[in-house]
Amino acid sequence: MSADIKSSLPKPPSDPRPEAVRTTLPIWIIVLTLMLLFLGGLYFDNHSGWFQTQVYGPYASVDQLELYQPKSGAAAELARGKVVYEQVCGLCHGADGLGKPGQAPPLAGSEWVMAKGYNRLAHIPLAGLSGNISVAGKDWNMGMAAMGAALPDADLAAVLTYIRTSWGNGASPVPMEDVTKVRAGLGARPQPMSHDMLMTMPE
Amino acid sequence: MTANETIHPTAPAPEIDASCRLPLLALLVGASVWLVVGTVLALIASIKFHAPEFLAACPLLTYGRVVAAANDALVYGFCLPASLAVIIWVFARLSQTVYTLPLVPVVAAHIWHLGVFIGLLSILLGHSTGFTWLEFPRGGSILLFVAFVLIAIPTAASFGFRLEKDLYPSHWFLLAALLWFPWSYASANIFLVAMPVRGVAQGVVNLWFANNLLYVWFSLVGLGIGFYFLPKLTGRPLQTYYYALYVFWTLALFGTWCGLPQGSPFPAWITTLSSVAAVLLIVPLIGVTVVFGRSLGGPGSDGPMGGPLSFVKFGLVSFLLSTLMYIALACPQISRLLEFTWFGVAQSQLQILGFLAMVLFGAIYYILPRALGFDFIAPQFIRAHCFLAGLGVVFWVAPLALAGYAQGANAYSLDASLNWLRISTLGLGFILLGNLLFALNILAMFLTWKLNLVKTLFAAITAPLKVSEVKS
Repeated sequence: MSADIKSSLPKPPSDPRPEAVRTTLPIWIIVLTLMLLFLGGLYFDNHSGWFQTQVYGPYASVDQLELYQPKSGAAAELARGKVVYEQVCGLCHGADGLGKPGQAPPLAGSEWVMAKGYNRLAHIPLAGLSGNISVAGKDWNMGMAAMGAALPDADLAAVLTYIRTSWGNGASPVPMEDVTKVRAGLGARPQPMSHDMLMTMPE
Repeated sequence: MTANETIHPTAPAPEIDASCRLPLLALLVGASVWLVVGTVLALIASIKFHAPEFLAACPLLTYGRVVAAANDALVYGFCLPASLAVIIWVFARLSQTVYTLPLVPVVAAHIWHLGVFIGLLSILLGHSTGFTWLEFPRGGSILLFVAFVLIAIPTAASFGFRLEKDLYPSHWFLLAALLWFPWSYASANIFLVAMPVRGVAQGVVNLWFANNLLYVWFSLVGLGIGFYFLPKLTGRPLQTYYYALYVFWTLALFGTWCGLPQGSPFPAWITTLSSVAAVLLIVPLIGVTVVFGRSLGGPGSDGPMGGPLSFVKFGLVSFLLSTLMYIALACPQISRLLEFTWFGVAQSQLQILGFLAMVLFGAIYYILPRALGFDFIAPQFIRAHCFLAGLGVVFWVAPLALAGYAQGANAYSLDASLNWLRISTLGLGFILLGNLLFALNILAMFLTWKLNLVKTLFAAITAPLKVSEVKS
């Protein structure tokens, strides 16, 4: 039946199977793919948080999340101290607290920092320091400006707590009220401290 | 080619075409109806967006329902069945053998269109699942899955029984597409509807599926069909086989990971991986550009302007543009501006109406007269359709993209984009007119075929008995 219909109608023109030229793929497109894969890998490394399910955009890693986490109590104090330390003290004393030769003595392992009381320690950033002083068995002879005088009491207390408890320094934290007391005791324009002056004060 | 023909007793082209006739008609007649229905719904949605009082009294046509119904009618109603019809014919032709079991796809096509009908009705009545591109409720999606598998099996079998053993690039793309859809559609429906995963994973599965359907599946089918018809219609060979294969593998490898915007609420590694994969789509993009550019150049007959080749060329250019937009959306600097705006809609609409639909129109205009054995009732409509569709896609997609930019640049303000949206409605109007011409041609052809069938039957009944039969 259908054959009858077909014969009465115009024949479709012949159309052959399409052909494809078989020349080899040039190497540049494979090189390009590999380069893009490599760059993609670098981008993934920097932005993915390495499959950590708690890392969401725009943050890129667990460390970054930690930094922005709201904290309370002692942890908040330490985090605040770390930020202030890195802005104010770290330039000379080093982010690792090891000091820099010819520039600033170490804070890590320093007997002045780890002393039982923090009265002498608190005087140094508030008034500055000049002259000979022995730190961790080495003599240092240089000056330090009153770097902490402009800091609010809370920030100074936080930074003192930070240096007393970081890098293996196992000393007690410094409450803000004590910093306020030391500042009040120093008066408006204090003279820089020296080794001898510090030794006359209670620890 | 000619050497092969003398070795293998391959079937002649008209016989192959005739074997695909019934499946093609069963799939395409329904598809052309859904195409018109989908475009009308999309037009309603487009008007409602800037004129909210339009049809506001009808609860069936609420904006959220119409948009979902329009998208699903275009994708599941038109693009998928029309793609399957073209794949059936291309596989039969490439295999140089008659299509095996043509009645299975005919039954499956009816199941498919029933599934689309149930799905669309459920969406308009407010029973959608709520997942983008998976709005059809369980009943509809099970019918679609069964129908797809029923069509894929005999089609893959006709690939297996091929007499021409040499593989052509389209084989890779289209065979992968036959496997890709059941896999991704079933996975997405199982993890979202049947046994829903929890929380964040739902969004990931949904966007993964949307990408695998609209980007990967559409690209596989559109490029597979495009790479078949480009050399066929120009009369020049495809340049080159291995470029096309490289496009296939890189598309399959990198394409699956894309589609999760940077700003979406998923763990950073998921969105970062997705944008890295999207930027890697530069490789298949370059590959298609090379294949397209080289295969077009050189002497040969390109046929009349506005014929099937114009549709295929328009579709492939749209693919290049939509991939470029997809890559741009994954770059952090650009995605900050354009993410979650109309720009993404412009990209997916370009992929649906500018790329796959256009390639399919070109293929169908080429195939259908050969499969039925007679020409279109109104061949002059083809040129008008080509003109209207091209104009429509430009005026539909470009204003949407600009609306997205206006939105992103003005802190997601809707006012800034409203005028662009009004222009885009005009573009959709052109598309609707073109689609109407297409559907008219297909339906007229179907009716002529039916009429011929009845006439032949009638002639057979009323014909006088042959002398030989009387004697015995």
